[in-house]
Amino acid sequence: MKYLLRRLLRAALLLIGVSALCFLFTEMAPGSFFDEMRLNPQISPETVTALRARYGLDQPLIVRYSRWMASVVRGDFGYSIAYNSPVAPLLWTRAKNTLLLTGTATFLVWLIAVPLAAWTAASHGRWLDKAAAVVSSVLISVPEIVIAIALLALAVRTRLVPVGGMRSLGFQEFSTWGQIQDIAQRMVLPTAVLVLSSIAVVERHVRASVLEVLQMPYIQAARGLGISRTRLLFRYALPVAANPAISLFGFSLATLLSGSLLVEVVTGWPGLGPLILDATLSRDLLLVIGGVLLSALFMVAGNFIADVLLLAFDPRIRTGESHAN
Amino acid sequence: MGSDARVAKSAQPFLRVRSLTKRYVRGGVLQKRIHVDAVRGIDLEIPACKTLALVGSSGSGKSTVARCVTRLERPDAGEIWVGGTDIAGLANRALLTFRAAIQMICQDAVTSMNPRFSAAETVEEPLLIQRRGAAKQCRQSALEIMSEVGVSADWANRSVMEFSGGQRQRLAIARALVLQPKLLVLDEALSGLDLSTEAEIINLLLDVQAAHSLTYLFISHDLPLMARLADTIAVMCNGTIVEQGPKSQLLSNPSHPETKSLLLPAKIFQKKYAEMLGVSG
Amino acid sequence: MRINTLVLLLALAILHLVVIFAGFIAPYGPSVQNRELPYAPPTRVHFVDTSGFHLRPFVYSQTLTLDSYKEDRTREYPLHLFARGETYTIVGIFRSNIHLFQVAEPPRIFLFGADGYGRDEFSRLLYGGQISLAAGILATLLSLAAGTIIGTISGYYGKWVDESLMGSAELFLSLPWFYFLIAVRAFLPLHLSPVETFLLLICVIGLIGWARPARLVRGVVLSARSRNFVSAARGFGASDLYLLRRHIFPETFGVLLTQAALLVPQYVAAEATLSFFGLGVSEPEPSWGNMLSTLQQYNVLVSYAWLLTPAAALVITSVIYWLLADALHSRLKSHSI
Repeated sequence: MKYLLRRLLRAALLLIGVSALCFLFTEMAPGSFFDEMRLNPQISPETVTALRARYGLDQPLIVRYSRWMASVVRGDFGYSIAYNSPVAPLLWTRAKNTLLLTGTATFLVWLIAVPLAAWTAASHGRWLDKAAAVVSSVLISVPEIVIAIALLALAVRTRLVPVGGMRSLGFQEFSTWGQIQDIAQRMVLPTAVLVLSSIAVVERHVRASVLEVLQMPYIQAARGLGISRTRLLFRYALPVAANPAISLFGFSLATLLSGSLLVEVVTGWPGLGPLILDATLSRDLLLVIGGVLLSALFMVAGNFIADVLLLAFDPRIRTGESHAN
Repeated sequence: MGSDARVAKSAQPFLRVRSLTKRYVRGGVLQKRIHVDAVRGIDLEIPACKTLALVGSSGSGKSTVARCVTRLERPDAGEIWVGGTDIAGLANRALLTFRAAIQMICQDAVTSMNPRFSAAETVEEPLLIQRRGAAKQCRQSALEIMSEVGVSADWANRSVMEFSGGQRQRLAIARALVLQPKLLVLDEALSGLDLSTEAEIINLLLDVQAAHSLTYLFISHDLPLMARLADTIAVMCNGTIVEQGPKSQLLSNPSHPETKSLLLPAKIFQKKYAEMLGVSG
Repeated sequence: MRINTLVLLLALAILHLVVIFAGFIAPYGPSVQNRELPYAPPTRVHFVDTSGFHLRPFVYSQTLTLDSYKEDRTREYPLHLFARGETYTIVGIFRSNIHLFQVAEPPRIFLFGADGYGRDEFSRLLYGGQISLAAGILATLLSLAAGTIIGTISGYYGKWVDESLMGSAELFLSLPWFYFLIAVRAFLPLHLSPVETFLLLICVIGLIGWARPARLVRGVVLSARSRNFVSAARGFGASDLYLLRRHIFPETFGVLLTQAALLVPQYVAAEATLSFFGLGVSEPEPSWGNMLSTLQQYNVLVSYAWLLTPAAALVITSVIYWLLADALHSRLKSHSI
């Protein structure tokens, strides 16, 4: 329990640190939306000053930061100047799309990677393991942008799946099943890119820890008792190998919001990514910060959940804690 | 009169330890603090160019005494007189001159040498640190000392890891000698060596002591072994010295049970040996 | 998978040399446009014609007729090796105008085709490689330098210095890296001169990534600090600086090397991605990233496959560096006991 509280405190401090960092950047930005506006001869300087006052941009630093923090905590992320609407709802609609995408991809990655890793670890040294090692080496080294472009090119040329956007025209007219199918089809490409770019890392890690566990004496002893290979693998080896895998899983959770920016922009999936990118290009700073903060929140939360899971799964941490006291 | 003066001079103790005490504290912020006396009220004297052996079983505190004398640790109470100065309470800066005068050789020379260094680099390092001359000079001095301890010059550029245990002890001795110390503290320096190497190193140490007029403080658990080297022997048990005196007296007439138990292995060995040879022991 | 480290280093050397000598190997400059040859397909190099086999290869002139390109077989233009062409500089110092191969005007030899402005993709690939690889390497050096300094201070002095520095490292590591990169880029002026953009890119990518190297270096320094030979040297009166320089820092080399091999491809990819989005190196300077950004247009993606060559270049670079990192990592493990 103390352990959890400490990790919670850490997470909170981390969030404050991130938000402060984000806010500092606003201040350091030379040339904001309004500077660009000022260059526009059609808009009078008085209008600009009035607009700045309206958005509260002329107050001292600490005041702005505390006001901003107060509103963030209330769920108000400020106002997007370019979209002329509050930031929070903008973020949230897009975030939902992103989560749908990354959630599915993460689920698939772990679904495939864990058994695959266990299997290759068990057939260590044989052709299956070697082939898998080659494939995973290649996948790990290829940059995500290349995978994205390659699959995009493939999809576009073969027309196997529709590309771009989340819904087809006339989506409203589809039946519920039709709607689900439509979204699912359009999800194939971005999901494939996400899965391919992250599966190798997960597979490697899980395989390494399973391999380590398989070398341990108690496994040899169990083998000597005649326990079958599958049972050995799944009931004896895997639970112990879970520890590093759980940390990695926590990391997967942590990057749910932030890991798909590239994919979304390249494949045209309407998630958080394209929103933030456009905001960057149009210097809509509050929107950018909102996005960064939201994904940082997920990251910290994901890591914290990983800590909780670790505590639940690894009895050593629990007993270690009682010893320290 | 002249010989009297000489006797008087050599009778002047080079190292004098009075009431040395060192405590360790167990427990931290959340636990109750327990103070453990590692050594308590240690009194020692070593005349110049003589050898004192400090023997005891493990945990008796003898290594702590060694570390205090070489000021790797700061004693909590007591005095350590080296020449005419009490170094027990000196600050680090003032200690610098004494650091050259007192050198320590440990049991496992390997760990105290950087595996990436060559033999010559290891031996010359103290000279470079203390800036005793240009790089070339330091290298030259190092090579001279190395040949004195019996390390061939061809091996000078080899990594220290390539040397055998005995050779590494020689390098450790060379490194200790290079700053021209007056006192050598040898902490279990002969443990872990095979018998023939042990004999070689003992002879080397005796030669070096004579050649460089060194005072030795030997720390060991092996009383019979120390009998060959020491002039005076002090026996430690549980942080204090229980018996101290000239070698001959201790060996023939041990009074403390600890001394007797430390002598036991030799006696048993002697008896068995005598039996084997059919000689009355 | 363990491929000989030497082979990998050789491959890496060749890659970098080819890119450095872009001026020599490329037939044209990176900004030379040929508006009459937009999206020209790769020029076919022939050895055989109606009169048989020729040792010296030749090309035909391509012209755009209606919608497609046709070879004009009326005249052959032989390839000249080590011929004179436009002047260029190697690493900004050596000037020359001898190119590896040239073709007499008017045809152009587009080994990898041309882009929308008729610029030679092959030449741009090489020149773009200079920028992309340089960005990756320089950013890596920056990350490693920052990480080493901070990690060493943290590991050597310990206690609260260590706690606070590693705390901020954790902060940086828990930031969504790419988002942060974009955000930082957002807060800096969008329109800068190419040199400024390049330097800015390097600083942003490099400085954000100090945390992981710092942690690794700190670990090494922490364990090295307590080694007996360090205490021994201290016993001789060595200063902190001496200990750091002579004993502790050499222990970090292995870790730093492996990190370098891991970071370079990541940072090259980061530059490529940022440039792809228009946040990095911008026209007319080529970089592998901004060369790929034309593929965001549907018709380009579908019809002009040769514009994917920068992606292939990225893959080759990444794979070689990654395999090298793997090999170094195994070596490091087997050496440290």
